[in-house]
Amino acid sequence: MVVNITDKLMEDLERQELEAPNGNAPAYVYQQLLAIYLYQNDLCNAKYLWKRIPPTIKASTPELANIWAVGQSMWTRDFPAIYKALNSVTWSETVSEIMRQVQEVVRSRAVDLISQAYSSISLDTVSAMTGLPPEVCVPSCLEKGWKFDADTKMVHPVRQVVQHLGQTSSEDQLSKLTDFVSFLEN
Amino acid sequence: MASALEQFVNTVRTSSSHGNFRELCEFISKSSEVLIKQSQHLDNVLETLDIQHHSLGILAVLCAKFNVQVASNATDNRFTQAQDFILNCNGEQIRFAPDTFAELCHSLTNYLVEQKQPLKGIVLLQKAISKLRLFDSQLTSIHADLCQLCLLAKCFKPAIELLNIDITGICQELAQNPNGPQFDSKYFLLYYYYGGMIYLAVRNLDRALYFFEVAITTPSLAVSHIMLEAFKKYILVSLLLHGKIRPIPKYASQVVTRFIKPLSQPYHDLAVAFNSNSTSLLNAVVNKHSEAYTRDHNMGLVKQVSSVLYKKNIQRLTKTFLTLSLSDVASRVGLSSPAEAESHILQMIEKQQIFATINQKDGMVVFRDEPEKYSGPEVLKGLEEQLALCMELDRQILAMDEEIQVNPQYVKKATGLQDEEQPKSTYAM
Repeated sequence: MVVNITDKLMEDLERQELEAPNGNAPAYVYQQLLAIYLYQNDLCNAKYLWKRIPPTIKASTPELANIWAVGQSMWTRDFPAIYKALNSVTWSETVSEIMRQVQEVVRSRAVDLISQAYSSISLDTVSAMTGLPPEVCVPSCLEKGWKFDADTKMVHPVRQVVQHLGQTSSEDQLSKLTDFVSFLEN
Repeated sequence: MASALEQFVNTVRTSSSHGNFRELCEFISKSSEVLIKQSQHLDNVLETLDIQHHSLGILAVLCAKFNVQVASNATDNRFTQAQDFILNCNGEQIRFAPDTFAELCHSLTNYLVEQKQPLKGIVLLQKAISKLRLFDSQLTSIHADLCQLCLLAKCFKPAIELLNIDITGICQELAQNPNGPQFDSKYFLLYYYYGGMIYLAVRNLDRALYFFEVAITTPSLAVSHIMLEAFKKYILVSLLLHGKIRPIPKYASQVVTRFIKPLSQPYHDLAVAFNSNSTSLLNAVVNKHSEAYTRDHNMGLVKQVSSVLYKKNIQRLTKTFLTLSLSDVASRVGLSSPAEAESHILQMIEKQQIFATINQKDGMVVFRDEPEKYSGPEVLKGLEEQLALCMELDRQILAMDEEIQVNPQYVKKATGLQDEEQPKSTYAM
């Protein structure tokens, strides 16, 4: 649902930027578009958007630089810096909702990565990668079924099995197979 | 108003109303000199013509306006006029003069580049392309212009929409050419060169490599600078993606191996150093040729190549070891600290370039086998997509083959040969 809204919003904003007279769209277009690119983890496009925003708008809307500070930390994969950049400013109404979601996706990506990459990880690192204080981390780790060793302060994540989504109907499969066979036979 | 211009307007009006567009095109191509000479009256001419009914006439006038130097104090309304024209002109009419229409777009592009306002033209050129081409996968020379503007504006999404469509046909713009309709090879090469650069910018290395490959395998008899630059980038992207220079396809013309290769020696040195897997050797080469790389504006890519070497070396470790401590990884790969090694490995795990588990407690890495069992629905889906692509390709080739079979020139040549042979064979009998 949320994704649908941002996709539509994104296309809308992209069009507004291109069709803006004199090449200067209103500042909110750039703010929201930049935030949406971050939400989609589309750092390349975010970087180039930042580069093409007219300097006058950058000067008049300091929030743009704050949004991009988040993007820069994402680019260097510096998790503590991302959360710091996200939480050190109060976002204006234009982007606050999107930035909140940015934080959520960054965190859920970090959690996925931890479960994929570590068999044991120190609590401090978990806390740094998720941006949550250690006392919040422990219960949420346990909730996910991860083990926590209080003596060594080590978290033992459990690897998630990647879920396969969507099975096509067998009829559809059959018709495709028929196509392939008839193609290969001829 | 000068009588030559009056005559121009009258011819445009009568020919357009009678639908004699082909003759009108010929007339217009001869009258560009007249128009350029009378440049101060051109705005009056525009007022007498209707944008829908006399599109060809207006096209000629606008082209002439772009060919004339504007006095610095005069108001420059060329952009708004061109904008109005491209948005509202009659697509059927302009397809009679694709070369002139493309010329207008080239002039407009140059104008916007000079004005440093490339962003303004993107929507316009998209519209222009959709008016000129007959089907979605047809290449026009305006494609290259759009890519250029997108590169300059650092706005890639509109171009990528276009680049993602594989080209299957070429708009034959130079219809008046004595050797039959043609397409200017410069724009063909530029399209693939710019396209490759755009894909590079958004980190779609696969597509970028393909675009550079098309650029360097274009048949040619002389060295083109576009091809040379594409070749340099081809080497770099190939290193980034495959860790070695991919062999150049056999159908590339001789020019590539004979002239272009020796001209890009610094890049070959880089590839050789990369293959040695030694970071120090690679850095030495980068330092030695840094001037050449900077001159070619390829320094950024070269730096990416040198950082990829770390990853390649880590990947090589997975072939030898099952478990390794982080500090061993760091020392074997040439990284300064175990923490740096950990962050590299983490990145590679995220991108699924290696399969490993880090154990922070003991500071160890366990390398695992690829978990993919090649039995899931994912694999089937991938296979289906590939097969669908192959079937589509097969269909295209059959269609092209058919087209050649019925081409009068081909038939004439094929049967002509037989005619020549026939008397011989009867003689022999």
